[in-house]
Amino acid sequence: MSTPAISIQNLTKIYPIPFKREKVTAVQDLSLTVEPGQVYGLLGPNGSGKSTTMKIVLGLVSPTSGRTEIFGRDSTTVESREDVGFLPENPYFYKYLTGAETLRFYGKLCGLSSAKIRDRSKELLKLVGLENAADRRLAGYSKGMLQRIGLAQAMIQEPRLLVLDEPTAGVDPAGSREIRDLILDFKKRGITVLLCSHLLEQVQEICDHVGILNHGVLIREGTLEELISIQNQTELILENATPQLLAEIHTLLGKSNARLVEERKPQKTLERYFLDVTSSPPS
Amino acid sequence: MTATPTATKHKAFSLSRVSAIASNTLLELVRLKVFYFMLLFALLIIGSSFFTSKFTFQEQFQVLKDVSLGAMSIFTWLLAVLATAMLLPKDIEDRTLYTILAKPVPRFEYLLGKFIGVLALLFIAISLMSAVFMVVLYTREQDALANAARYVPDNALPDQLNSIRAASFNSNLLPGIVIIYLKSALCAALTLLLSTFASSWIFTVIMSVVVYLIGHIQPIARQAYLDSATTSHLTKVFLALVALIIPDLTSLSLVDDIVVGNAIPMLLFVKTAGLGVTYIGVYFLVGYFVFSGKEL
Repeated sequence: MSTPAISIQNLTKIYPIPFKREKVTAVQDLSLTVEPGQVYGLLGPNGSGKSTTMKIVLGLVSPTSGRTEIFGRDSTTVESREDVGFLPENPYFYKYLTGAETLRFYGKLCGLSSAKIRDRSKELLKLVGLENAADRRLAGYSKGMLQRIGLAQAMIQEPRLLVLDEPTAGVDPAGSREIRDLILDFKKRGITVLLCSHLLEQVQEICDHVGILNHGVLIREGTLEELISIQNQTELILENATPQLLAEIHTLLGKSNARLVEERKPQKTLERYFLDVTSSPPS
Repeated sequence: MTATPTATKHKAFSLSRVSAIASNTLLELVRLKVFYFMLLFALLIIGSSFFTSKFTFQEQFQVLKDVSLGAMSIFTWLLAVLATAMLLPKDIEDRTLYTILAKPVPRFEYLLGKFIGVLALLFIAISLMSAVFMVVLYTREQDALANAARYVPDNALPDQLNSIRAASFNSNLLPGIVIIYLKSALCAALTLLLSTFASSWIFTVIMSVVVYLIGHIQPIARQAYLDSATTSHLTKVFLALVALIIPDLTSLSLVDDIVVGNAIPMLLFVKTAGLGVTYIGVYFLVGYFVFSGKEL
């Protein structure tokens, strides 16, 4: 059995309130495991403990009790971060640096050689579609471009785990789609992803495992299929079905104990429709 | 690109990481256009030369040194406080701190890199100010030498030229400037320490100014209260504690000696510099101690 990418055991985080006796429990007795190669969606309303959990995994906040590990290494140690790439929500980075200089800076922080940084930067800038903007200052980047350079810096040292906090927050639908495609690409390459997001539709599209936090407690966890499938219902989507075929299906249904819950034309998502109409040049 | 384990071995301390953070910090500060104050400095010392044209050359050199070294002291202090105060809050606000510390970068290296960046900025600033000061002093010296050659009788000329040279450049200038630099570095270390627990950069600046003032008035307070027989034991303990936490900043200045042309003994210089370096080290380490436990 392989070592989990993230292992959280009985994690509790309590914040004292200054000048008061009260304390706030941000995370309570949380245990979860993210296996290598999974894309794990951590969901929850505001204040549910998602960010605290993520910060503890990254060693930015220390736990009150419990233990977190990244690929078997205690996540409070600096060494454990060799295997992690992190993209925070709405990152700004240093505006006076160009895209290439930003990657060089983060590459140096990871102890990479100049030659390695050069190669990785070239590869990542191509991957995130910023080859032509490599020498532009980040001050002139759009929100989507900033998120993509953020993803590139997170990947600079070839980490096995990516932690992404609302990676598409504030990005337009086309940019959002590009980021989602990148995450799916990382997944194909075997990189484990821990994704925190409010965009449930996006999580549904990308993640294979989901954990739902509420008031610091993990209330549900499992594969997406386990959690959201309606076990006693079946969905058939037919293409080019003739009225005769549909009539036969109805006849068969009438003879069985099954009940037809709904029959309708499938709809594309509004996002798909938006992308279709905005991707072509104006006529 | 595959998800294979990284082969790099983590180093507990890496100069390369520290220098990456330091050079980036320096670039960040330089881009804030902090060197505009150099213009003000140049105007101040050139302007002071005009007002002293009626003075004797000794007085002219004294005023020039007094104004220049005093301005250097104030400008480097202001630069140290303002540049350092915004470093940590800005990185936290922009979340760049998260992306840096989420890499294998120990907090000690991050803080050290930031501090070295500020020290480099102060070094550049004091070097530029010293260069402007030296150029103006050299120009005034050449003026005085030319005037002496014109108006002083030949038999008195060699003595006059020697006294002009002695009054302008002397070996005290360099140690004096080094101490000004150390004092500004100390203020930067103190500001960095304050910013590790302060909630905003404005609070940090205010606190830093307050501590600077306490550092300058504490010898007067010490003299007034510690030597007095009527001062309570508790007040004496409190004052001693303040004196320990905040150094006597008036002792971290050799400007008065330089201006009047007193020789600065090596022992005095070493003791003064040692005091400055010790406080810089202590403030930095306490700052690191606070920052290492900070919940981000």
